[in-house]
Order: sequence, then C-alpha cells, then structure tokens
Amino acid sequence: MVDFKNISYSYSKESGIFDINLEVKDGEFCFLVGPTGSGKTSLLKMIYFDILPSVGELDVLGFNSKKTKKNKIHKLRKKIGVIFQDYKLLQQRTVYENIALPLHINGLGRKKIKDNVEEALELADLLDCQNKYPNQLSGGEQQRVCIARAIVKNPELILADEPTGNLDPAAAHKILKILEQINKEGTTVIMATHNYKLISDRDHRIIELKSGSLVSL
Amino acid sequence: MIDQFAFLIAEGFKSFYRNKLASFLCVITIFINFSILGSLFVVGYNTNSLVDFFRSKYSFEVFLVDSVDQNIYLEFVEQLSESTIISSTEIIDKEKSASIFKEEFGEDVVEMLGYNPLPLSIKVFINEENFDFNQVDLLIESINSYDFVDEIEYRGKYIDDVEDRINLAVFLFLVFVIAIIFLSYQIISNTVNLSMTNRRDFIDILKYNGASGLFIKIPFYIESILYSVLGSVVSFLFVKYFFISFNNYFGLNIKMDDYLWLWIIGFSIFIGLYSSNQSMKRNLNE
Repeated sequence: MVDFKNISYSYSKESGIFDINLEVKDGEFCFLVGPTGSGKTSLLKMIYFDILPSVGELDVLGFNSKKTKKNKIHKLRKKIGVIFQDYKLLQQRTVYENIALPLHINGLGRKKIKDNVEEALELADLLDCQNKYPNQLSGGEQQRVCIARAIVKNPELILADEPTGNLDPAAAHKILKILEQINKEGTTVIMATHNYKLISDRDHRIIELKSGSLVSL
Repeated sequence: MIDQFAFLIAEGFKSFYRNKLASFLCVITIFINFSILGSLFVVGYNTNSLVDFFRSKYSFEVFLVDSVDQNIYLEFVEQLSESTIISSTEIIDKEKSASIFKEEFGEDVVEMLGYNPLPLSIKVFINEENFDFNQVDLLIESINSYDFVDEIEYRGKYIDDVEDRINLAVFLFLVFVIAIIFLSYQIISNTVNLSMTNRRDFIDILKYNGASGLFIKIPFYIESILYSVLGSVVSFLFVKYFFISFNNYFGLNIKMDDYLWLWIIGFSIFIGLYSSNQSMKRNLNE
C-alpha cells in the first residue's frame, strides 16, 4: 500500500524527514505521532505526492515517486482521501456541495453523486446539516464534513492530518470512532496526531517520529 | 461526463459572478480596447481602398519629338501594351492636345499662333496589381532612352510620397494595435490571476482530491471567455453603429469588413484564452 525506502526530504539542515523506512499494509490503521515539527505532516504530504523525496523511493498504491510524471499525480490522489486539521472547507458552498466536490472531479452523474453524498453524510452523522454553510457549524461538525468529503469517493487510503487538533475530547473521540468505522470497512487509515491521551487506549499500530526520524514503528 | 462538463461550466460562471467588480472592470477594459482595435481595423480596411484608389490613378505621359514618324510611335505603343505592368495606353495626337488646351485655357492655340506647337504624347496607365515603383522607374528609364522621346511627365513621386505616408500611418496603427493587444493580455491575465488567488482554497481542494490540471483550468478558461465575449460583442456593436452614424452624418462611405464581428470576437477570445493560460501556468507552477 505505502512503502517508504530510505526517504529523506529537507527544508533546511535541521528540518525535514531523514532516512525513513516504513511500510503500511492494506487495511491497516496507523497513528503517526510525534511533537509539533517532528515531520508528521511532511510524511503525509509525501504520501499524496505533494512533496517528493529528495533521496530514496516511495511507492503508494502502485505509484512510484521516481517514475510518476507530474501530470499523472492526480490519478494517485483520486485514490486517497485527505483530512486536514484546518478542514479546508469552501465557505461559500453548503455541506452537501463541499462533500460532492470529489465526485464531480471523478465525473460521476448527478444521481450517483446524491446517493454517495447521502451515504457519507449518514456515516459522519451530518444528515441534518447538509444545507448549512461551514461557518454555521461547530468545529467538530466541520471536521466531520471534512471526513465525509474524504470518504465519499471510497478511497483506498485515508490520510488524516491532526483531525482532532482543534476539537474538544468528546468531538475528538467521535472523529476517531468514525475513522475506525471506515477502517473496519477495509480502508487503510493513517492518522497523524500529537494527542497521546486520545490514542492510548486504542489497539492500533503507532509510528513515532522525532526531529524527522523514526523513533519506533 | 455531461454532468462533469455542466459542473465546470457552472464553476466558470460562478467564478465570473463572485469576482463581480474585477469582472466588470475587465469587461469594460476589453470593450474600450477592442472598440479602439475595431476602429483601427475599419480604418486599415479603408486605407487599403485609398492606396488602391491612388494606384488606379497612377499614370505617366510620354511626350514625343515633332519629327517622329507615325509608324515608329505606333510600334512603340504596341510594345508598351505588351508590358505586364502597363494596363492601357492612350495616344494624344496634336489635334487632341489642342482641343485639351482649349478646354483648359479657353484659347485656340492653332488660331492664335497660326500653327500647332503642342507635342504628340502617349498616356500610359499602370496596372494596379503587383504594383511596384521600382519596375515603373525602370520602365521610365528605358522609355527615356528612345531618341524620339522628348520628355516624360512623371507624377509617381507624389503618389509615392502619399503611399509612404499611408504606410507610415499603417505602421503607427500596427504599433498601436500591438500596444492594445498587450494591454488586453495584461488585463485579462491579471484578472484571472486575481480570480485564482481568491480561489486558492478551491484550487487546493481540487488538487488534493485528484483533479487534473485541465479540470482545474477549465472554469478559469470559461471565465476569461466570458470576459472576452461580453467585452468584444459590446465593442463590435459600438464600432458598427459608430461608423454607420459617422457615414450618415458626414455623408461618407466608410466600408466595414463583413467579418468584422468575427475578427473582433475571435481575436478577443484568442487573447483571453492565451493570457489566462499564461496566468494559470504561473499559478499552478506548470
């Protein structure tokens, strides 16, 4: 699914990620943990080829970082759902329109879009909010919209970058439960977090990063 | 596929609508630029007619010595008629010269002097097509070498001067046209740039969800086509009715190309697409 082979990428001499060897298998749920600046976001960005390694080779869902041309990267991204800490929702569009966006990109028809969006809304417990605008929602609800948008296209892999970072404990637990449910249905999930308390009672693999290097797998 | 295309078109219109002020200013600027450009097209179109008019009037007159034999000059005229750069010739004999003199000055020169001092001449008309002053000069030079040719009245230099001035005007028009095209390019490019900056979030979300470069660009292409079509249609109507009114008011006959609308709108769309494409390349780091 995801295979990092001696990957390094540096922003400067001290920041970046260094010599990462890591494999994530199909259907896994992994937590990517580490303090702020440890390289969690960089690692996730690499998985959807937003940044490419300066050293090493990365395979994601059959796409190789060295062989994939720039104009083919979008094909990989169609298979990945990304959840952002700052939600990245379009404020001038309703919840429904935000969630439907990836399906328009995939070229689905109106009827199929409606069915898929309703399914995602139900899973994220947002059926009552579909006609609201993001600024009319709480932080937890906005993050669930972001999750719904990531899962609506049935991706093979979900990358969640600090999805609970701005949420209270109850909302954070709800988000985690939704991600676990998605994982149970077969989707691989990689979730970056620095909230150790939230994940301590979970029985998932923990990948720890410190100053851009892997500490434990 | 149809739903996807409808989505992209709708996005283009939304983008146009969301940047109301910038869109409006862009359309107004395209209108002004293409009104000037359209007017220059019309002027250029009529300048060609003016050049053709001068060329159609282009002729010179060869005066022959009194002693020339009729057979010689008739043969000479026949030779001239064979030249490809000459369209026709006209022999003005001594009697005809006298009657022209009488028409112009009101005096009968033969009666006044008791003989006809006016020379025999041949008026030579030049072919408008493939008109070349150098060839005409060579022709005049060769005619001048004949013994029986007394003088050649040649007004080519005046027409040459007029054409030079017209050519200068056309050159200045072209410079002006290029400046206007560049200005239009900059304005559309900057407006699309602004639109893309305003919609950075939208572009990022599209990118992260697997949108191809073309998918991201299409709404912005549609937006720039809207600017171009709106601005240029209004400018075409303005140019058309301006020249119709101008003709009516001054009793002129300034002609317009039947395809002026196509030139203005097509050219505007081309500039719109090109400039927005350049702007997108910069914004999407292509």
